[in-house]
Amino acid sequence: MAEIVTTPAVAPQRENAGESGGTPANRARGGRRRTLIAYLFLAPFLILFLTFVVAPAVFGLWISVTDYSPFSDVQNFVGLQNYIALFDPNSTFSGDFWQSMGATAIFVILSVPCLVLIPLGIALLLNRKIRAAATFRTVFFAPYVLGVAVIGVIWGYILDTQSGILNHLLGLIGLPDEIPWTVNVPWVWVTLVGVTVWWTMGLNTVIFLAGLKGINGDLYEAAALDGAGPWRSFTSVTIPGLRPVMLFITTTTVLASANMFGQSYLLTAGGPGNTTRTAIMYIADQGLSQNNMAPAAAMSYILFAFLAVISFVNFRFQRERVERTVA
Amino acid sequence: MKKAFVRALGIAAAVGLGVALTGCGGSSGTTGTVSGDGEYDGPKVDITFWHGWTGGAAPTLVPKLIEKFNSEHDNIVVKNVPQEWGDIAAKMPLAIKAGKGPDVAVLHGDDLATYAAQKLLLNADDIVKGLGYSADDFPPGVYEAGDYKGTQYAIPWSVTPLGLFVNKEVLSQAGITDIPTDQESYTAALEALKGVGIQGEWVDGYVFTGTFEFESLLWQFGGDLYNEDVTEATFNSDAGVQALTWMTDLIKDGYSPANVAQDGNIKALLAGQTAFNWNGVWQTTNSAFADLDWAAAPVPQIGTEKAVWSSSTHWVFPANKGQDKNKTAAAATFVKWMNDNSAGWAETGELPAANDVRNDPTLVQNYPNLQPFMDELEYAHYETVSPGIAEANALITTAINEALNGKKTPQEALDDAAKKADQILKQNQAKYGG
Repeated sequence: MAEIVTTPAVAPQRENAGESGGTPANRARGGRRRTLIAYLFLAPFLILFLTFVVAPAVFGLWISVTDYSPFSDVQNFVGLQNYIALFDPNSTFSGDFWQSMGATAIFVILSVPCLVLIPLGIALLLNRKIRAAATFRTVFFAPYVLGVAVIGVIWGYILDTQSGILNHLLGLIGLPDEIPWTVNVPWVWVTLVGVTVWWTMGLNTVIFLAGLKGINGDLYEAAALDGAGPWRSFTSVTIPGLRPVMLFITTTTVLASANMFGQSYLLTAGGPGNTTRTAIMYIADQGLSQNNMAPAAAMSYILFAFLAVISFVNFRFQRERVERTVA
Repeated sequence: MKKAFVRALGIAAAVGLGVALTGCGGSSGTTGTVSGDGEYDGPKVDITFWHGWTGGAAPTLVPKLIEKFNSEHDNIVVKNVPQEWGDIAAKMPLAIKAGKGPDVAVLHGDDLATYAAQKLLLNADDIVKGLGYSADDFPPGVYEAGDYKGTQYAIPWSVTPLGLFVNKEVLSQAGITDIPTDQESYTAALEALKGVGIQGEWVDGYVFTGTFEFESLLWQFGGDLYNEDVTEATFNSDAGVQALTWMTDLIKDGYSPANVAQDGNIKALLAGQTAFNWNGVWQTTNSAFADLDWAAAPVPQIGTEKAVWSSSTHWVFPANKGQDKNKTAAAATFVKWMNDNSAGWAETGELPAANDVRNDPTLVQNYPNLQPFMDELEYAHYETVSPGIAEANALITTAINEALNGKKTPQEALDDAAKKADQILKQNQAKYGG
């Protein structure tokens, strides 16, 4: 109790200590200077952001409304033709593009729940006072530092249909040992989701762990005094306490999953057929390998629109709940 | 979203850069003719050389060759710029348009037309004449791969045909010592292997090497990938269906497991699980073969005629904006010298294209495994010459993959791919100006 009372009292003191003078004019000048310094520190990022994010984004938008081709010196404005073509079933691109969007959607729907719930569970376990918690935290985080090329090679060996270690081990315990992990449906999806979870769950785990550490221990104590069991205190204290973190994690995870590229590029080569060819794979192929840059730019803006809408809905949905919880 | 955005922007940035560069560049300086009589006597020049040989023996071999060339030529300094093939594909067109491309480069046969159509390469007719090259100096069909619309844009450097790799130890378990050469003996060998519980040839649905095998078989059955002027896909002809059915039958008849993963078959050959693998000549330098009792042979003749898939690499002279003629002439000298001194190139698992070098008996003495691949060259087929063809070719792999995975019958898979390929070919004509 004493702590809670003193905390607000300490904060203003600190603020006062930071101020150099006492008059309002001085304070305003100090404020302006601080703003200036803040912008100065932000400037390097801002310059990078403008050069490598905003400017190319505008270029991309422009390309998507022209008949841009690397072979012609003049580009003609064609309006929304590139976009309309994506909705025209007779165009070369629409079928493949929407199929790749479908593959992306399947991957998002399959992977996001795993990438949220499994790290949450691990974070809860690691949050207990267990021996060698730091070691386990490192173990779970370790795969995240590997590049996707490394992941592809390692799992390619493990998951080979005939000579992979996994099928061999399954065979030893009497299970089917000819499972086409990287070659045929539905196993390719199991592989892609499994490998992605193994690879990236460490990041979400660490973020959840930070969120858990931020929940006031007194709340658990109070809940226990009110007779709440472990499950009740999980649903009534942990989950509400994690909501802002949850919002961040679901948003970033949806976006990361929607941008899956390397795993299917390296492990399944988009196969069987084009089943696991994701939108990013298709856009990159069309734009960079096949010189269809204008349609590819249009595709990437459609993908962008989809993801923007999903993020917005996610944000609204979860923010309201955050506010309601706070109220 | 952020990442997608950034990626989209990355593409956009690349494109934007291109726009900016071409904006200043225009299309000047693309038709300068250059003479090279094998020797360059102009002022001293530095020339840059781009290539994608970043693996195997090449990273030590190429600098050695260049060093030797530089020491023998007072007025030419070649600068070696190796990078991944993928990077070359992404960078070189824009670099050439900006006048920052190399003075000489090596490209794969199936890229030549795409570059030529974009006016990124110098007309090499005079260079070729100056150096004294003609189609007869190379295996049949290779020199022609550098011809786009009646103009020669490239000089052959190496060829890489498919062959039959045999694990002799596995083969002997079925009591067979002779490597099969035709459909009858090949099927007999597979049947004998099946009798001792070995699946003799593992067939895969990926570019390496299911697609190469399919294309070889297609030609063997008398078909072709596209019609004469590459306006229509013909790989779904009877020959194509026969070829693909032969491959799916390997699984059906129990000669191959289903669902072979990428590279699963070469791994199986090395691990002694299978006897045959159709693979490229580049595997002859695979150090994993060192402890194996193996042999290479021409691919067996399954169809009605002899045929085999082969890739090729070629020298090209980029049409940089404001290209210095002296540099191109020096580059021509370099190309001639490299071809004349390409005997050592076999070290990388590629066959030197120049006949006089390849047919020198010491080459086979040094690299005996190359003999069967050299024997194949008289009936080898090379990749289709047409701008943007890679996009249509990718559909063939998808069809093979679908058929081998049992998603579609060979006929269905090839018909679907051909329909789509026709669309792509039409689109390419519009895109590259037919």
